[in-house]
Amino acid sequence: MSKELIRLQNLCMAYDGETILNNINLYINDKEFLTLLGPSGCGKTTTLRIIGGFTTPVSGDVFFDGVRINDVPPHKRQINTVFQKYALFPHLDVYENVAFGLRMQRRPEPGSKRGVKLSNEEIDRRVMEMLEAVSLKGFERRRVDALSGGQQQRVAIARALVNRPKVLLLDEPLGALDLKLRKDMQIELKRIQQQVGITFIYVTHDQEEALTMSDTIVIMDKGNIQQIGTPEDIYNEPKNAFVADFIGESNIIDGVMAQDRLVRMYGRQFPCLDGGFAENEPVDVVIRPEDIDIVPVEQGQLTGTVTNVTFKGMQYDIIVDFRGFKWLIQTTDHSPVGSKIGIKIDPDGIHVMKKSEYSGMFGDYSSFSDEYDELNGTDEAREEQSNET
Amino acid sequence: MKQSRRTGSRILIALVFLFLYAPIALLIIFSFNEGDSSAVWRGFSLHWYQSMLRNRLIIESVYMTLLVSLLATLISTFAGTFAAIGLYSLPRRRRDVLLTVNNIPMMNADIVTGVSLCLFFVAFFQFWGGFARWLNGVQSAFVLPERLTLGFGTLLLAHIAFNIPYVILNVAPKLRQMDRNLMDAAQDLGCTWMQAFWKVMLPEIKPGIISGALIAFTMSIDDFVISYFTAGSSTSTLAMTIYGMTKRRVTPEINAVSTLLFLTVLILLVIVNVGEIRQERRRRNPSVRKEPFGERLRRFLSTRTGRYVQWGITAAAAICFVATVSFLTAETQSIPVVNVCSWGEYIDTDLIDRFEAETGIRVNYQTAESNETMYSLLKSGGADYDVIVPSDYMIAQLIEEGMLSELNYDNIPNFQLIDPRFRNLSYDPENKYTVPYTWSTLGVIYNPTMIDGPVTSWGALYDERNAGKVLLINNSRDAIGEALMYLGYSVNTTDENEIRAAYRILDEASKRGVFQGKVMDEVFQTMEGGNAAIASYYAGDYLSMLENNEDLRYVIPDEGANWFVDAMCVLKDAPHMREAEAWINFIASTDASLANMDYIGYASPNSEALEQYPAYYEELYGEPMDPELYDIMVTPPEVLERCEMYENTPPNVRALYNRLWIQLGI
Repeated sequence: MSKELIRLQNLCMAYDGETILNNINLYINDKEFLTLLGPSGCGKTTTLRIIGGFTTPVSGDVFFDGVRINDVPPHKRQINTVFQKYALFPHLDVYENVAFGLRMQRRPEPGSKRGVKLSNEEIDRRVMEMLEAVSLKGFERRRVDALSGGQQQRVAIARALVNRPKVLLLDEPLGALDLKLRKDMQIELKRIQQQVGITFIYVTHDQEEALTMSDTIVIMDKGNIQQIGTPEDIYNEPKNAFVADFIGESNIIDGVMAQDRLVRMYGRQFPCLDGGFAENEPVDVVIRPEDIDIVPVEQGQLTGTVTNVTFKGMQYDIIVDFRGFKWLIQTTDHSPVGSKIGIKIDPDGIHVMKKSEYSGMFGDYSSFSDEYDELNGTDEAREEQSNET
Repeated sequence: MKQSRRTGSRILIALVFLFLYAPIALLIIFSFNEGDSSAVWRGFSLHWYQSMLRNRLIIESVYMTLLVSLLATLISTFAGTFAAIGLYSLPRRRRDVLLTVNNIPMMNADIVTGVSLCLFFVAFFQFWGGFARWLNGVQSAFVLPERLTLGFGTLLLAHIAFNIPYVILNVAPKLRQMDRNLMDAAQDLGCTWMQAFWKVMLPEIKPGIISGALIAFTMSIDDFVISYFTAGSSTSTLAMTIYGMTKRRVTPEINAVSTLLFLTVLILLVIVNVGEIRQERRRRNPSVRKEPFGERLRRFLSTRTGRYVQWGITAAAAICFVATVSFLTAETQSIPVVNVCSWGEYIDTDLIDRFEAETGIRVNYQTAESNETMYSLLKSGGADYDVIVPSDYMIAQLIEEGMLSELNYDNIPNFQLIDPRFRNLSYDPENKYTVPYTWSTLGVIYNPTMIDGPVTSWGALYDERNAGKVLLINNSRDAIGEALMYLGYSVNTTDENEIRAAYRILDEASKRGVFQGKVMDEVFQTMEGGNAAIASYYAGDYLSMLENNEDLRYVIPDEGANWFVDAMCVLKDAPHMREAEAWINFIASTDASLANMDYIGYASPNSEALEQYPAYYEELYGEPMDPELYDIMVTPPEVLERCEMYENTPPNVRALYNRLWIQLGI
């Protein structure tokens, strides 16, 4: 399975004097589901467009199956793309949209320099197969702008996959769908990927999507790769405050490494599983909200005051003030606002990271509100502008 | 309250539309008028449409207009579409700047565009002349033409230039609406850029291209000002021809042409708008999908037979195009040509056909609308006519400036038929440059039912008893000249006091409200409709007014009047000297002179024609000619004695005329 298919080497990209990609190095395995994850303007879409051939990097190389393909135009790459907002052809119906790539194809044939076109029968067979695979049978003659978002999405996937590419690029394909549909399509996409058995390179800013579907996640910010790893690695062992914050909810507290497997916060020592730091090295400590146990005040390693409680169905999100620094705790127990509580953290609930440029920027829930996720959300316009190169 | 406001606004809207469309409606109605007046209805007839179709000046210019508009539309649509696509691949800031730059030519006054293009072409021709002479001198492999002139080519270039911005303006919004990823998607699916353009971008921006092309076509058909400055002397668009006709009067033929022009533009606009509405409806209601004709057509065209049909149509169109172009260029190269510039409605156009049939020389007959505009066109280098037909005083000026070429009268035997009275006149004392074309007088036209007693003096024009009923001619030379004659001075006086005295006559009459207004062409409608009692105008035109209002009288006042001659002359360095002399000789013949006299109502200088005209008239109309009318048309010698011809005046006098004229206001 782990045969290398695509390699990006020292990719740099700048636009109007602004750095968009800063020395990106990445390899992608055959049949892998790899996700480029990051906030708007992090360079993930640009990376995708370079792989697709729509954008030429300022420097650096792209290899496909060991061959350098920097100068290969998009129509000659064995790569197809599902575009943001799908980019379906409005003047063609569903059938013709899916058949578009096949009609362009020429099968090499001895004696014919340009090759021969696919027969109408073959095109018809493959299109109908594909439409069946994405459950759009019966929609062949519909106009694409008469379809729902989810249906358009599936047309876009069918249109790309019908060409049997080696790699499918997906640029925020679920961004325009509502939440419920998005969850269904995540599972659907993963199923399709396993069924056709090709490499998917997926761009998103939605960390949950990335965790659900990916074999490998590449976290990017400001044109740099922050971390590469499996969803579990990234969730459990974030490399820095940015990753910890971007993936899931994190309380990030300043600490000092007292010694291996012992970190000091709030003047107290907490046993942990991390080591390899210098003695008394300042560190960032990540504590996931679900790894914190609420205990009676007298049994707690720390005590704080509840300032906010939000019911989330499965659990309560409560904000607790520990000497001015606010933590998010997820718990199934209800604690009223204003009450004093104690907390206890198991050693495996503590993850210690080296200090980085992101230290101190994340992990405080002082400004917590229900809209917190949205405030953190996207700025599409900025993203699009960086694509205009 | 609310109700009444609604009614009020409805009335207002109705008035606005009435104001907008009433003139056009009137024009359309009068194009079906039996008579030739624009004020008096004589019953329904298609007469003017027929005569329009027979008028080769109009038909040729319609053909020219269509050809230029179509070619300019094709080329500018192609160029503009790709320019718009290019603009859209630029970063936003630079694109916005360029789109603004694109808008400027559309805002620019046509006159500025026209004049600057004319200057540009003429400057380029000069540069080219030098270059070609040099190149022809240093090598002999091929010969470049050294003398380029304004003509079809420059007209076409000008139209392309002013059309492109409109195409860009129409295509740009479609590009903006288009998903930017569409082109990437097509290339992703195996298209080269060009294939992606044809298969994806073109269908998306097609509505914009079509409306851009239609607007460009409309602008092209419609354009007058820019064409006027760039078409040169051998080419004339419909708008230019119509304008040229207005020097004398707007005939209902023009109403007919204008009606057709209006309908053409209207139909084009309706097509554009219906297309947009349909598209809008489809966008709002996308699920409705009955197969429209276009869809069925497209499906047919994608079948094998359909593709053959497509190829066939394309090939046929290409062949037609090539044939037209080569026909046009071939014709102008091999056939001898003469370029004539005269006034509108100033020739029996059958004569042109007869001349061409007899001699095999092709006549490019153009019209100018006044001596002064023709003069400035000549001076700007924007025209290369062979024969022009200016009036006496203008001829004197042209001779003085050395712009005319001496004629070889051996090639013009018909000059012998010109009555001696019309030779060696003051503008050309030794008669080396000219052959007279027509002559007539400027007298008083009045309506005896509206004023007391017969008019015998210019004084009637300034008489307080006629207050509000007098039309003053809108031309400083004529208006001041009339007052000079009234005072008993010469119309060619250079005495400032005399001129100022004449001005005071006009000024006082004006202050007492004698004049209804200053008019040129409007004199026809106003006098024919009985809306004014007295005006001064040309004898030839009085005859056509008389057909629509029998009450009108023409008189040459006792003080005398102005008489004038329009004469044919050839410009210096005219490229077709031999053909020009042949044309002049033909027009001076007795036959041609009779036909012209009948058609335009001005007297010919040909003595045989003057003698034979009453008989010619009787034969043509089956009734003898009224001798009184003959005397008005052909002023008797003893009356002509009293008349004086304008001579070229010194610049300081001309300036004085202009100053006084502006001062007079009215």
